[in-house]
Amino acid sequence: MAAREGTYGLLAEFETPTQLVHAAENAYAAGYRRMDCYTPYPLEEAAEAIGFHQNEVPLLTLIGGLLGLGAMFLLETWISVWSYPLNIAGRPYFSWPAFIVPAYEWTILWSGLSAAFCMLAVCGLPQVYHPLFNAPNFRSGATSDKFFLCLESSDPKFEVGETRSFLEGFAPVSVVEVEY
Amino acid sequence: MAHGYQPKTLPREVQAPAFVEVWRTRALMVGGVFLALAVILGFVSGDHWEHFLRAWLHGFMMCFNLCFGGMLLLMLQYVTGGKWGLIVRRPLEAMSRTIPLVFLLFLPVGIFGASMGRLYIWAKYADWATALKNGQISEEVAHAIHYKHAILNPVSFWVVSLIVFAILALYVTLLNTWSMKRDADPEPDISYWRIKFENLSGFGILLYSILLFVVAIYWVMSLDPTWYSTVYGFQYLVAEAYGVLALSILTLIGLSKAEPIRSLFRLTEQHDLGKLCFAFTMLNMYLAFAAFLIIWSGNSPEEIPWYLDRIRGNWGVVATLDVIFHWLIPFSLLLSASLKRIKSRLAVVCCIMIFARAWDLWWLIEPNFPDARRNLHFSVGMLEYATLPVALVSFWLAYYFTQLKKRPVIATNDPHLDEILESQHVHA
Repeated sequence: MAAREGTYGLLAEFETPTQLVHAAENAYAAGYRRMDCYTPYPLEEAAEAIGFHQNEVPLLTLIGGLLGLGAMFLLETWISVWSYPLNIAGRPYFSWPAFIVPAYEWTILWSGLSAAFCMLAVCGLPQVYHPLFNAPNFRSGATSDKFFLCLESSDPKFEVGETRSFLEGFAPVSVVEVEY
Repeated sequence: MAHGYQPKTLPREVQAPAFVEVWRTRALMVGGVFLALAVILGFVSGDHWEHFLRAWLHGFMMCFNLCFGGMLLLMLQYVTGGKWGLIVRRPLEAMSRTIPLVFLLFLPVGIFGASMGRLYIWAKYADWATALKNGQISEEVAHAIHYKHAILNPVSFWVVSLIVFAILALYVTLLNTWSMKRDADPEPDISYWRIKFENLSGFGILLYSILLFVVAIYWVMSLDPTWYSTVYGFQYLVAEAYGVLALSILTLIGLSKAEPIRSLFRLTEQHDLGKLCFAFTMLNMYLAFAAFLIIWSGNSPEEIPWYLDRIRGNWGVVATLDVIFHWLIPFSLLLSASLKRIKSRLAVVCCIMIFARAWDLWWLIEPNFPDARRNLHFSVGMLEYATLPVALVSFWLAYYFTQLKKRPVIATNDPHLDEILESQHVHA
């Protein structure tokens, strides 16, 4: 992939979560869509403000769990019925009550693993480079006590001068132009 | 949302809204109609009120489970703490205060069921030797009645039941009066009250578990004196929490149409209660299946007939539906996080859960009797199960609503109250 050049976006820094959410809500209302909030702790209002309602992790977890359930149940059925049939106290080869417990264990295991790895995958992790780390104030404050809103240049509504004055309307600590 | 971070204030009116009176009237009407139907069926069925008594036991167990399940959950929330506990506390107290009605409902079970031997085979054929000679009971049943005579006789039945009711009455009184005193305390010492309730409840949960084991064995399990299971009491314990959580959510959703619950019942606590329902749905199925798996693996002639009685002769259909109503439907629906946040849909799940309790009790009770064992067949008497328990539970609900109106619907002297008045996500 060719290295992208130019502006990644405009990064506004806020002191409080309330200011951030206020700015994000207004940006969404003004028509911006390609944007993201960066906060030191989970802030559900910020997610709601930028129109982020659903994520795919629950569905992927469910699919993982069902795959685990099916895989183990079929494995046990295959072993007990076709591969190595054993007569255990005269019970039928297909003794489903005995298959439930391992199948249940695999449902939990696969759901857990799917939840963890799919969460990383849909977040786009692991990621070795992100342009925002070019901003010094982001590096020093994003994980401790600062709240950031980034409007990205890929948004059709993005225009450096106009977007900068729009963001400055919310009294941020600073608005920084971030390079790729 | 971002605005409105300021905490709300406690609504001035904290009594139950007026429409609880309407609920009560409706419950009484439904109860009256279904009781009349049950009595008519009793005359029509021509089985000497046999099924009427069985259905009475069913309805009584439903009411017992709701009343003391309420007490159990009340003690549980004192021990665990948490904001979900504060919001359901007063409804749970109201459930526990229905004990006089539950005791009244017990009397016919004791008088007709045990003393007159109409329900319990060990009371009917206390003279097991003659009954065995006349071929009225099998050798196994005769042996069980003989061997378990010290426990299974009407005197023990009454003594144990009355002791249990007396201890439970003491607990209900303590929990309810202390709670009132706590709210009236002009200079509330939070940790004094917290520890007082924790000590009462911690021991109470243990004591109640033992008492429930005993009465579950006496009232239901002893219908078949040949069978025993050590997890039986636990299943009732979990099932009580399962049913009562559903009823608490329904109560709160109903009350949330007006103040004060409208401002107090936040989405966060609704979601939490939904998650608890999910946990109990899982635990309930886990216990039921574990008991089945152990007995199935053991395949012992002393234990397995109990399940065969409830699977063969078309009872398997009822058992399968039991799993579907009890576990599959609530489990699948409660998996969804968004469903737990939508009041109307959560209410539907709660109704299914309460219905599943009734279905399960039917499956536990009816196949104990020789005419129904391994032989699910229609008789007019069977319709009693669809009428009499509805009547008894409706009367119970009416009494519950009366109790609900007697107190403010929220306990005010609790540090959690300030937290549920804050808007959601603030601590997220």
